[in-house]
Amino acid sequence: MVVINRTRSVTINPPKMCQPIGAIWASLGVHASVPLVHGSQGCSTYPRNLMCRHFREPVEVAITSLHEKATIFGGAPNLKQALTHIIKRQHPKLITVITTCLSETTGDDIHGIVKSFKAENPVYDDSTKIVTINTPSYVGTHVLGYDNAIKAMVSQLSEKTEPNGKINIIPGMLNPGDVLEVKHMLKEMGVEAIYLTDISRTLNAPLRLPKPHFPEGGTTTEEIADSANSLGTITLCKHEGQSGANVLKDKYGMPAFLGELPIGVEATEAFLGNVTQMTGKKMPESLRDERDLLVDAMVDASQLTFGVKVAIFGDPDIVLGLTRFAYELGMKPLHVLTTLENPQFAKDMQALDTDYGADAEKQNIIVGGDLYDLSQKIKETPVDLIIGDYKGKYISKDEGIPLVRVGFPQADRFGYQRKRMIGYRGSLDLLDTMVNTIMDRKDD
Amino acid sequence: MPFVLPECDKDVPERKKHIYLKDEKDEFAIPACNIATTPGDLTERGCTYAGCRGVVGGPVKDVIQLQHGPIGCCYYPWAARPHVATGTNFHLANAFSTDLRESNIVFGGEKKLYNSIVEASEAFPNAQGVFVYATCVAGLIGDDITAVAKRASKAIGKPVVAFNCPGFRGVSQSLGHHVGNQVLFDTIVGTEELEEKTPYDINLIGEYNIKGDDWLIVPLLESIGLRVVCTFTGDASIHDIAKMHAAKLNVIRCARSAKYIAEMMQEKYGTPFMEVDLYGITQTANDLRKVAQYFGLEEKAEEVITKELAEIKEELDFYREKLKGKKVMIYQGGPRSWHWPETMAELGVDVVVVATTFGHEDDYEKIVKRVKNGTLVIDNPNAPELEEAMLKYKPDLFISGTKEKYLSHKYGVPFLNGHTYESSGGYMVFKGLVRFARDMYKSLYSPSWKFVRTQETAAEAQ
Ligand code: SF4
Repeated sequence: MVVINRTRSVTINPPKMCQPIGAIWASLGVHASVPLVHGSQGCSTYPRNLMCRHFREPVEVAITSLHEKATIFGGAPNLKQALTHIIKRQHPKLITVITTCLSETTGDDIHGIVKSFKAENPVYDDSTKIVTINTPSYVGTHVLGYDNAIKAMVSQLSEKTEPNGKINIIPGMLNPGDVLEVKHMLKEMGVEAIYLTDISRTLNAPLRLPKPHFPEGGTTTEEIADSANSLGTITLCKHEGQSGANVLKDKYGMPAFLGELPIGVEATEAFLGNVTQMTGKKMPESLRDERDLLVDAMVDASQLTFGVKVAIFGDPDIVLGLTRFAYELGMKPLHVLTTLENPQFAKDMQALDTDYGADAEKQNIIVGGDLYDLSQKIKETPVDLIIGDYKGKYISKDEGIPLVRVGFPQADRFGYQRKRMIGYRGSLDLLDTMVNTIMDRKDD
Repeated sequence: MPFVLPECDKDVPERKKHIYLKDEKDEFAIPACNIATTPGDLTERGCTYAGCRGVVGGPVKDVIQLQHGPIGCCYYPWAARPHVATGTNFHLANAFSTDLRESNIVFGGEKKLYNSIVEASEAFPNAQGVFVYATCVAGLIGDDITAVAKRASKAIGKPVVAFNCPGFRGVSQSLGHHVGNQVLFDTIVGTEELEEKTPYDINLIGEYNIKGDDWLIVPLLESIGLRVVCTFTGDASIHDIAKMHAAKLNVIRCARSAKYIAEMMQEKYGTPFMEVDLYGITQTANDLRKVAQYFGLEEKAEEVITKELAEIKEELDFYREKLKGKKVMIYQGGPRSWHWPETMAELGVDVVVVATTFGHEDDYEKIVKRVKNGTLVIDNPNAPELEEAMLKYKPDLFISGTKEKYLSHKYGVPFLNGHTYESSGGYMVFKGLVRFARDMYKSLYSPSWKFVRTQETAAEAQ
């Protein structure tokens, strides 16, 4: 196993986005919320465009419209005017103020500005909550932006009252299809949960007229407040939820399980085990059936999956989850790449490697890398399958290696956002896709 | 009367001056435009960088497109606009960034930029140059990208072009178009000679080859005997741009994004220019005649027009019959909003609302002149205004871009993507018109609309 850290200055074909889009994502999982990006025009429009292409749903994001003047004199007047307009015009339950590289560099103190906005507007009545989120684009990636947003929401909204017997789930930047799968599993377990936050309906809504003012569904601000009273918090994606889970743990003394994404047999079992530990509820027969159906398929497919060489790229949690599943299937994950500039990832990956006693074949772990790195590695040591988001299609075409699409975004696919990849059923779906892709290739 | 404040804006009175209902009394009133977006708006606007990199510089197919700033501004526009090109997808397949981090914000990013240019051109030795775009933070920390570009150009022996287009400059993507034109004019145009000149050389300006529009227009122009030296910038090589000054005439397609370069070329090289629409039958025919006349090719033009019209007649008649009497709402960046009213009229379609993202006064002059009384004209609308317009004007079809598509559907209004055309192929000139009409028909007549229920009927069915 070789850990590769990048030394190049230039980034070529980045599989990562900036913090604001992660924060926008988290905000849109709250019912009747308006994400307000504190920056210039492009920073709301670009993420919207990408999310619309992925989810195929309307994505509404407001902007404070900072221009030259605001870069010199500060953006406070714009931010206050924006808050006024949004409250008066849209009456949301929540506005999330999301900074950008621009407002972070000019040094706007959004917390102070919001505080003085409330003081200057005595009519401001708290039926619209305002959460401030710092998301400088030059630190971390969209992964950190999501993590920061959840952290800001629970820090600023949670309130200790009565125990609610529920558990908190922080999904991370997973698809509506995946969140629905978590809901399914918890329902089978007989467990109630608060999702921090829940895009399963706000970004995946049935078409019925007239359109509701805000999309149905989403976590309510009351539920976020109530998250202080839960039994504990489970994050599905460690890197996209650990800060929020830790805030709740430190503030209210509740357990925080920083999960490994439940893909495949072991990780799903571990997730359900955590739920049991937190709630005392046992895994029911129905989920055991799902597990063994997955195992049945894994065994059936073993001739086709064993020894298949794969390259995996994407967000750290997804890559870890996929790599573990690949090992479970007897595949050889030869190149794994994530953009996380954090030694933790390499360590987690190494641990996985040791678990499965990776054989002589050398595994490249590319930390903080880009798709150009990946393409170079694939040229050196070819693989049979690439797993990652749609930007992998260029390598796939150039090298003639099929791409199995997993992760965000999939801007040029229809219906991907509805699919699931987690839990036993999601893993089974993913397995089907992988195996069929391999069979297609064998057919060629 | 003519200015109106929608219900949703009752607490945002400044929006009134942006929204104009055309009537006879005040025929030439122009909505307030090209000014900063009201803070808090759910606007569709992009930034200056988006206009410069996404629209003008991005389609150039054989250069490294390097964004200087944090990663997001590199990721989001990467291959987002389908400005396809002949023989390569280098510019769509690859995106380059200096990916500035916190330490660069503190200590400056010039060194990282210089190294990035050199490394990128080593990784892709076939690239013919490097385009560097500054985004917000690079502009704020004051990196001198022009100076870095100059040094790096010497090091790699190829042009390195610096665009000073941070997003906070200007009020929309529109200023970015201007920056793009100016920089390419100053640094690239006139740096190479055309090997073989003909008396029929023209440039096509402001055409970006979205889904292959170029591949409809250029052959049409060629069929009357012209030769296109450079399309600025759809399907263009940096070498084509370098030779633009050799053309005898500049034909401007998108006047909003690229008239600047035609004006500069007129001043410096004496190249005259001509504005064209190239949408629909009458406009395309008249444009062809106008251009042909300049070169004394009238006869050939008439021949081509007759032939092309005969080819599309039957199919077009079918769609005309289907589209007759439908009402449409149009929301585009700029010029398409004034290209299309006449095209719609030719198809028998009624335009009830027109809006632009970044139109200037001259765009609105043309819009107001071309739409009928009673048409609502909105500058830089926000989501609630679009929603209200859909409810009030009840269009049968909304033509706009990706971000509005899903909103439109939630209101039960069929939609057509007029920014990047969802179907295969362009909408321009005669052949494209058929596709345009066919795609309108497909949205309007989709049987799936029959199944859409209201909240109440859905509840009753339970
Ligand atoms: S507004 Fe600035 S930071 Fe935002 S996308 Fe445009 S250039 Fe980038």
